[in-house]
Amino acid sequence: MATLHIVRQSAFNTSDFSQCLHVLGNEDVIVFIDDGCYNLQHSSINNIDGNTLFSNKSIQLKVIAQHAKARAVAINEATIDKITMDDLVSLTFENDRVITWQ
Amino acid sequence: MSNDAIKTLAILNAKAPFTNSAGKDALDIALIFGSFEQPVSLFFQGDGVWQLMQGQDGSLVSIKDYLKTFAAFEFYDIENIYVCQISLAERNLSAKFHIEEVQVLNQQSFAQKLTSHHTVLRF
Repeated sequence: MATLHIVRQSAFNTSDFSQCLHVLGNEDVIVFIDDGCYNLQHSSINNIDGNTLFSNKSIQLKVIAQHAKARAVAINEATIDKITMDDLVSLTFENDRVITWQ
Repeated sequence: MSNDAIKTLAILNAKAPFTNSAGKDALDIALIFGSFEQPVSLFFQGDGVWQLMQGQDGSLVSIKDYLKTFAAFEFYDIENIYVCQISLAERNLSAKFHIEEVQVLNQQSFAQKLTSHHTVLRF
């Protein structure tokens, strides 16, 4: 029962992303979109990769490539998938529910 | 949770009550769903927990106090009201709410309850 989290705000400005991390499930997918792309530069994203709290989870991280490129945000392709808006539409069908953090 | 079951709605409140209309909008949706006997649960996280605190008076800042309407939840059969314990602790708040039947949940329980619903709307 996976949830798709659409993160639209920068964690440097709001606590939306932090609240998202609090309700993250084992198989969930996070998509960074709009100013959410700035979270790729935020330390809290390391919580997902390195933190023991998340180590037993298989969270997928994705970013709208165009939105990150527009903001000159670098993407570490080892940990983050680059996707398009079409892919995002598909993800809304593939997951059980969607929460938009905006 | 089969596809045949009645769809359940979770409303996630994450904004303080008086800076914008998010809380009022969330309340309106909750009452509409309640009116049509659709199962709806309310969640309060982050600054959303301020909506539940005792002793607020919106009229002092020229805002119609929609929070008083929270008292009507039981008449609309809205009985599942959950608060994030971490959000309370971060704000140095105790569990003193202006409505009853509020359940304070730890991070794990809050996440499980929230994602047990078919649809989640965040305000």
